[in-house]
Amino acid sequence: MRGEAPLRLPRRGARALRLALAVAAPALACGDAEGDSEGPELSLDDGDTSRGASLYRELCAACHGVAGEGGLGPAVAGWSRPGDALIHVIDATMPPQNTAVCTGTCAADVAAYILDGLTGGGCDGSPTSPRQLRLLTRREYNSTVRDLLFTAPLDEGAPCAADVDCDLAAESCVADLCAADPCGRHTFLFDPGGETYASVHVAGTFNGWPGTVADGGWAMTLIPEAGVYVLKADVGVGAHAYKFVLDESDWIPDPQNPDTEDDGVGGQNSVLDLQCDEPGGGGASLDPAAGFPVESRPKGYGYDNNAAAGLVTAVHVDQQLKAAAEVAALAVANLDALLPCDPLADPEACARDFAASFGRRAFRRPLTPAEVEKYASLIVGAANFSAGVEVALRVMLASPYFLYRAEIGEDAGDGTSRLTDYEVASALSYAFWGTMPDDALLDAAEAGLLSDAAGIEVEARRLLGDPRARPLLGTFAAQWLGVEGITATDKSAVTYPEWQPALGEAMAEETRRLVEHVIFAGSGRFDELLLADYTFANGLLAGHYGIDGVTGDDFAQTADPSGPRAGAGILGHGSILATYAHSDQSSPIRRGVFVRERLLCQPFGTPPANAGGVPEVDPNATTRERFRQHSSDESCALCHTYIDALGFGFERFDATGRYRSDENGQAIDASGDVSDVEGFGSGTSAPFGTLPELAAILASSQAAHTCFSRQAFRFTMGYLETPEDLCALAEIDARFAAANYDVRELLVAIVTSPNFVRRR
Amino acid sequence: MQRRDLDTRPSGLLLQAQARLRAQARGLGRRRLLQGLGLAAIAGPFLRLALGGRPVRAAAGKAQRVIFFYFPDGVVGPSQDGEASKWHASGSEHDFSLPAQLEPLAGHKQDCLFFNGLSMGPADSGSHPGGAKKLLTAVDGGFGESLDQLLARTVGADAPFRHLYLGAMANQNNASGDKHISYPSPGVTITPEDDPRKAFDLLFGSGSGGGDPDGGPDPTQVTVIDGVLGDMETLRAQLGDTEKSKLDLHLEALREVEKRIKSGPTGTCVDPAVDLAAVGDDLYDPGNFPAVLRAQTDLMVQAMACGLTRVGVLQSSNHTSELIMSRFAGSEMYDPNFDMRSHQASHYGAKHDEGKREYADYLKQRRWWVSQFSYLLDQLAARPDGDGTMLDTSLVLLCTEVCDGNTHLHDDMPLVLAGRGGGAVSPGRLLSYGGDRHAGLLAAIGQALGADLPTFGDSGSGPLGGVLT
Repeated sequence: MRGEAPLRLPRRGARALRLALAVAAPALACGDAEGDSEGPELSLDDGDTSRGASLYRELCAACHGVAGEGGLGPAVAGWSRPGDALIHVIDATMPPQNTAVCTGTCAADVAAYILDGLTGGGCDGSPTSPRQLRLLTRREYNSTVRDLLFTAPLDEGAPCAADVDCDLAAESCVADLCAADPCGRHTFLFDPGGETYASVHVAGTFNGWPGTVADGGWAMTLIPEAGVYVLKADVGVGAHAYKFVLDESDWIPDPQNPDTEDDGVGGQNSVLDLQCDEPGGGGASLDPAAGFPVESRPKGYGYDNNAAAGLVTAVHVDQQLKAAAEVAALAVANLDALLPCDPLADPEACARDFAASFGRRAFRRPLTPAEVEKYASLIVGAANFSAGVEVALRVMLASPYFLYRAEIGEDAGDGTSRLTDYEVASALSYAFWGTMPDDALLDAAEAGLLSDAAGIEVEARRLLGDPRARPLLGTFAAQWLGVEGITATDKSAVTYPEWQPALGEAMAEETRRLVEHVIFAGSGRFDELLLADYTFANGLLAGHYGIDGVTGDDFAQTADPSGPRAGAGILGHGSILATYAHSDQSSPIRRGVFVRERLLCQPFGTPPANAGGVPEVDPNATTRERFRQHSSDESCALCHTYIDALGFGFERFDATGRYRSDENGQAIDASGDVSDVEGFGSGTSAPFGTLPELAAILASSQAAHTCFSRQAFRFTMGYLETPEDLCALAEIDARFAAANYDVRELLVAIVTSPNFVRRR
Repeated sequence: MQRRDLDTRPSGLLLQAQARLRAQARGLGRRRLLQGLGLAAIAGPFLRLALGGRPVRAAAGKAQRVIFFYFPDGVVGPSQDGEASKWHASGSEHDFSLPAQLEPLAGHKQDCLFFNGLSMGPADSGSHPGGAKKLLTAVDGGFGESLDQLLARTVGADAPFRHLYLGAMANQNNASGDKHISYPSPGVTITPEDDPRKAFDLLFGSGSGGGDPDGGPDPTQVTVIDGVLGDMETLRAQLGDTEKSKLDLHLEALREVEKRIKSGPTGTCVDPAVDLAAVGDDLYDPGNFPAVLRAQTDLMVQAMACGLTRVGVLQSSNHTSELIMSRFAGSEMYDPNFDMRSHQASHYGAKHDEGKREYADYLKQRRWWVSQFSYLLDQLAARPDGDGTMLDTSLVLLCTEVCDGNTHLHDDMPLVLAGRGGGAVSPGRLLSYGGDRHAGLLAAIGQALGADLPTFGDSGSGPLGGVLT
């Protein structure tokens, strides 16, 4: 049989199994029940390219590249030998760690994919992205319901050129119109009474009471027209204490703020207690999606918004109907705020008016005349207007037009589709705000302003400049880093008696704040995330980290330039250190894999059979010593070369993220090597001695930047990139680099790339 | 096989017994009558019934319901160094003994089918996720519909809830999709409900399953559903095939809920006896796990006893489980001073070394999972159903994604099928195979439920010989 051409294989990989036996004979000791008889033989015709694509991404891409361009393994794109030979190679020898993983039909599927689709695509202008219905995630559903029903639409503000043209204390100038400041933002005003100062800054619980602007004090700006110093800052809801600092020497309470408290050194601090008004009543605390099933996240796709996995089950429907009923009842309790018209004057006209205007916001597109009639008749057909509106709301909120945002598009005339302008508006607002488009964005769609990249860019920049973008980017970061679970993580009460849930919550907040700060207030550069020598902490977290100067529940920017985390950015965050650890010990493996998979996009295949477990805690050994077998055993070393030497760099931090100078009385060696940082098999060595040095290696690597670009692309698009996206991605990467790796520019590049709007 | 040939031959005794049954049936309720007619068609079990034997369903009887009970990280199978499995039973079909890990099932030995030599095939062998993908789909890589979903949309479609997927810490830390075992469409998993309180609410509370037993359907809810259905149809007409199939799943789900709502309250139980008081606030506190699993098990049984669903999946944690089982107070592996996770223990080493902590704990953990399965069987056996108990009319599959937790192989899968399936299965036996696909067992389960399922999975396996009576 072997001599025949083309070479054919039994459907089930009996031969591959024998190979596996030769490599790891003990592995097959679990019974001898491998009873696959030789079935029909395989050829390329048996291969399914779409299954092959998934298999390739999971099993092959790490070594051979997403587009088959090669890496740890050789390039496979452009395979020039017979296709059956490719099946044979895959069946018998791939993946090398465990050749039994992909045999038979799996091998045929992968081969078919390599020969069919691996050449990449998109550069010739052909469309690439899949058409999708994207189910709102639980967080998107909640935000959308809140914005749709419980936030009064902003009054059309007065035209402005700068904040000073508006009511300075409560408004900002946004897109040339005065707009009310969002909840959590405070305007500090200081009237110098004609004096001028070289410097006026705000210091308080929110920024760690810095004595100088250089140390993190928030500088106030003199507005000459008004004769006052002004600063708008997002200090957040809750109680804060602060002072103004004149010329970095004279600390005074805010003369305009009557609320003060004793400052403990004989003076007074000004006190600010920010609470948010909720028009419509309690919208912010609404959690109508609480009963919805948890989102399914395909392996390798770390986000909650995967389009393919967003299926609606009967449990979803049940909970959607229930949520719609609850939300609608709450909304009609304040009917006046909901209606654009007087129902008593002309009920039918008002019903149509409401259906059209509200429907446009609920469905994020104008309703067709038939739809207006449908919803208007639901309203007028009810016992009274309020009950009618309630029913209409319940239908709309359970309608697929509300629950999904469509990325279907319209025929572009070349056999492809382009998203409609309204679809673009939704794609933008959910990408940057995690919620429905505002009226301005819908108006832009209506005016046809989103039909080219330039128009999209204008709106993208407006959305990114809005405070709503900040929490969304924080959410992205938590999912990118995989640290959402930190608030519910378990630590051993015996090993770590000091651990408490509030610490996990503080760690989540720390990471969120740093990311938001870097992107929106700091340099905006990706590198700063990895290199920041400051962080944000409340008293509890600062105490845990051993950082002085922060007390109480408020978060403040802290600087600890000589501390062990300084210059390691997020890598020194408890959220990462404690998430990627066990309950009773650190885990160099999990931390190493975290860096490879999340930060460098270098996923590993599954560990081989017989992979050992975690060595038991040996009171006399360091963690590093206990894991030595990984590098001494050849089969382990294949992958662990890339994991352990990197993960050891975190060893100065225990499983709760606390610094430790020694482990069980023995000195800790946190040196290591980020070998092959640009890709497995690239043959480079990058030794480091400390965590900040490790961070510096990552921050200067191409792989980390490209990976971040991929991560942002996935989160924005709702799917794991395919080879067909590579051309668009190359362009996105180039724009990211040209913008000095400014994260906001990356996001603009993604939404202005052709793949954002074009569908196959 | 032989027995059936023998029994289907009409005989004087058989005809006599059939006549007696018809006479008895006149005095029975409709449900009993239907069962009696079923019995009359096939003689074997009927003979035993008529002659005073244990009341069992007809040989060609149908299982009323199926529950898939999953636990993570395999069992103590054959060790890497070749020591014999500590899980698989040994002996002959009717004369066999249960090893230590299966001891908690001793009281249900006659209610279970035990298996040796069933394989999930070579693809991904050695991998937890690869095993979890094949477990209920029997398709490499999980590129197929899982059996529970297939049964839900076919034989289970008339139940108020086509499918009930309950978990205990199965979504912990945003578990990736490959950790879940239910596939409504190829390559796509759904997530279980991990909160017993929400599950209770869905089944018996303010969700569409409960409500006022005397009231009719809520007219407003009917209007709402009709309105939504209208939008579904409009949207569907605008879609291509891929998106259409996604919307069709949504539409099926909507129809299911519509039926529940339009037929009014559906459950036959107004005041279900499920005690959720023991479930603590933190669903992901490992110390709380036993209480959560217990509550989910009770809910599953109660939902089925009330006729709310015919297809259930109970997923305990997920593969490569981080569940700290040493925190289970009162269990034999309890140790507040040492954290032992499921997956950690599963890598007990190359040998069955009693002196090694991982091994000792792993054995205890596996026994604990089996004891939880045993509890589920107790609950089913405690509830009457027809002439027997719910266990007689049900099938329950105990399953995990790999064989031995240390080697991760997919051969000799540790599966146990409990229940008589309404007479479709004759338990109390040990069935040994030479590497037949577990797909055949899944096909047999499907057929026992009445599904038109000549084969199942990508191996094209028909029902495994010896399982169905």
